[in-house]
Amino acid sequence: MQTAKNQSDFFSTAIWAALVALTTLTYSIGETGLAGKNVMLALLLIALVKGQMVANYFMGLRHTNIWWRSIVFGYFVIVGGLIAVAYI
Amino acid sequence: MNQPAIVIDSFTPTVSPSSGHDGALPGDLAIWIFIFAEMLAFGVLFVAYAFTRAHNVEMFNDSQLTLSRTSGAINTLALITSSYCVVRAVSAIKHGLSRACAHWLSGAVLLGGVFVAIKVVEFHAKFEAGITLSTNAFYMFYLALTFFHFMHVLMGMVILACVIAKARRGGYSRHDYVGVETGASFWHMVDLLWIILFPLVYIIR
Repeated sequence: MQTAKNQSDFFSTAIWAALVALTTLTYSIGETGLAGKNVMLALLLIALVKGQMVANYFMGLRHTNIWWRSIVFGYFVIVGGLIAVAYI
Repeated sequence: MNQPAIVIDSFTPTVSPSSGHDGALPGDLAIWIFIFAEMLAFGVLFVAYAFTRAHNVEMFNDSQLTLSRTSGAINTLALITSSYCVVRAVSAIKHGLSRACAHWLSGAVLLGGVFVAIKVVEFHAKFEAGITLSTNAFYMFYLALTFFHFMHVLMGMVILACVIAKARRGGYSRHDYVGVETGASFWHMVDLLWIILFPLVYIIR
């Protein structure tokens, strides 16, 4: 049981490290002053990936019914998609 | 005639009430209705920001440059790390570790305090510079979105403080931790919204 906890904690630590890395990437893109359609899409994609990590692994939605996961995934796709349309 | 002795050493349910592995949402369903409603409200504001910007691209880009991306990034790291602390708190209570649960939640609240402090400095700098909701459309969205989110951070900190107090009293166990999951879900939502808000308002141009 303790081993299962250790594995679970190690996994959530890995997810946290990935989130930190993606945040650093977003910040670095901002600091370089890069702009344009491709950069905007890349930043939205990073936000989508981070959002899915938080929803599925931190909130625990990966253990829930697929419909619950679809709501959060759909939210990011629709909101992100509409933002992309507005910027293009 | 001797009766066979029935001895029950302990009873351990194989499935906890809110294990999260039965397809149901973790925590109380009511908090999820609130979470989805809040996400919808923020989603509308995010899209409204993007479409309003489409009519004032230059003004939005110029105003955006006055924001501190470093503050925004540090706040993102603070919220992500606090969310991680909350995950560890839930993991701890699932194994009956009430004190560890309270400690991890305290870490989350502390990081929430870092977010609040940085945001207060940012708001103060903007108000000192004479910037208000009516300065221009960008600042109207910036102040409205970030202040709305700021209030959610404060509310999340209050919720987590209540969970910490109950955990310290031994109010949760490995078979009863719905309250911890409920508070955790709200806090993760606060993080989730900032994950969109930060690149949208501070970075994307």
